Amino acid sequence: MEEERELKMVEGGEIFYGLDFYVLPEGCIAAVVSYTSPRDACRFSSISRIFKSASDSDAVWENFLPSDYRLILSRSDGALSLSKKQLFMHLADNPLLIDDGALSFSIEKSTGKKSYIISAKNLSIVWADTPRYWTWHSDPKSRFSEVAELVTVCWLEIKGKIETSLLSPNTDYVAYLVFRMERDAYGFYSPAEVTLLTAEGKPVTEKFYWESQERYQIVPRRVGIFNQFRAPMSRTQSTTQGEVDQAKLPKQRSDGWHEIKIGEFSTGRDDNEEVEMEVLDVKGGNWKGGLVVEGIEIRPKIAME
Amino acid sequence: MASTSTSTLSRKLILKSSDGEKFEVDENVAMQSQTIKHMIEDLDDINSPIPVSIVTGTILSKVIEYCKKHATEDSDSDEQLKQWDKEYANNMDLNTLYYLLLAANYMEIKGLLELITQCVADMIKGKSPEEIRAHFNIKNDFTPQEEANIRNENPWAFEN
Repeated sequence: MEEERELKMVEGGEIFYGLDFYVLPEGCIAAVVSYTSPRDACRFSSISRIFKSASDSDAVWENFLPSDYRLILSRSDGALSLSKKQLFMHLADNPLLIDDGALSFSIEKSTGKKSYIISAKNLSIVWADTPRYWTWHSDPKSRFSEVAELVTVCWLEIKGKIETSLLSPNTDYVAYLVFRMERDAYGFYSPAEVTLLTAEGKPVTEKFYWESQERYQIVPRRVGIFNQFRAPMSRTQSTTQGEVDQAKLPKQRSDGWHEIKIGEFSTGRDDNEEVEMEVLDVKGGNWKGGLVVEGIEIRPKIAME
Repeated sequence: MASTSTSTLSRKLILKSSDGEKFEVDENVAMQSQTIKHMIEDLDDINSPIPVSIVTGTILSKVIEYCKKHATEDSDSDEQLKQWDKEYANNMDLNTLYYLLLAANYMEIKGLLELITQCVADMIKGKSPEEIRAHFNIKNDFTPQEEANIRNENPWAFEN
């Protein structure tokens, strides 16, 4: 339609006056929009009809999808027949299980960057194959077929690996342990450690707390660990003691799980290296139990967070 | 019919803008436009002016400036050429950019089209629909209900 209109004007020898995107062919607008971002494209679809048509087009969203999305889709079970924008939104809202459920894949909505959760089954957890220490079962809140539940150990060690070629290039990533504490969880008093190791870099180890220490002292009988984190956390919120940095405490996720940051790394243009992530709680030497592990998430660091 | 297979670098072509301005250019400069390339193939007389019907003289001179630079690229490194492109695009006002976009699209000059597309994209990134309508003089042809529906599809994209 628009192209017809433009052609007529051209044949009539008319010269365009005034600035009006309306006479730009839809393909030109789509090309401009594809150089912006998924967030921009969603906004631009409300500008006018021709902008909507251009901003919703496959040409634009094909560009926002990860370049290897076809390969990723082929590693999952289901078949999806959607427009590129629908596919993008679907992958942003519904994590896709790939490689027989070893990984869950999704894309970050505002940027289109790739994000993964490595399932507990594909982590190396010390003692995990000994039912006295760890059990495996399905969980209604899990995206995977099984989660790992800690019965009891003194030596708690969880490791995961990811190859950076799976991730979006030139992107800052953050890795998190995704977990839950059962109501009867016990023994998590001392600070534990998280370590992130890249191929060329030195390992970066940091301490974290499974929960606030202050809470431990004041509440003798713990009813619902982490209840305090269920309320949305604001930046200004601080612990009463002021000793424990909020960044070193777990956060509630929108999917019902909790997460603790393991570390950060950046991907290059097209190099492939292995990044290793580790959670270690062994210093106290005491028995602990009631931790449920969903997996390790690797997601892009968004400046706005 | 003039044989195009015996083209030499020194051949000159005359391009004529929509407002009648004529430009004499080397063939290898003009041939960066796929549209002109195809026109020449169908042309009987290579010496008659080639009409570039939707592009004004002002814009055509800018297009030729770009094509000249890129026709002699071996004199510059990729880095220098990129820098030149950047300065070239940065010196344009919005109005000129817009007509250059139309011209590059019509004349099918891939490099120029990409350059200008990227430049316009950088200008509209992060802007609200209202700002873009005002900026580019675009009429909102949605009903209020239609517009509300579109916003409700992706409310997160409108939060700032």
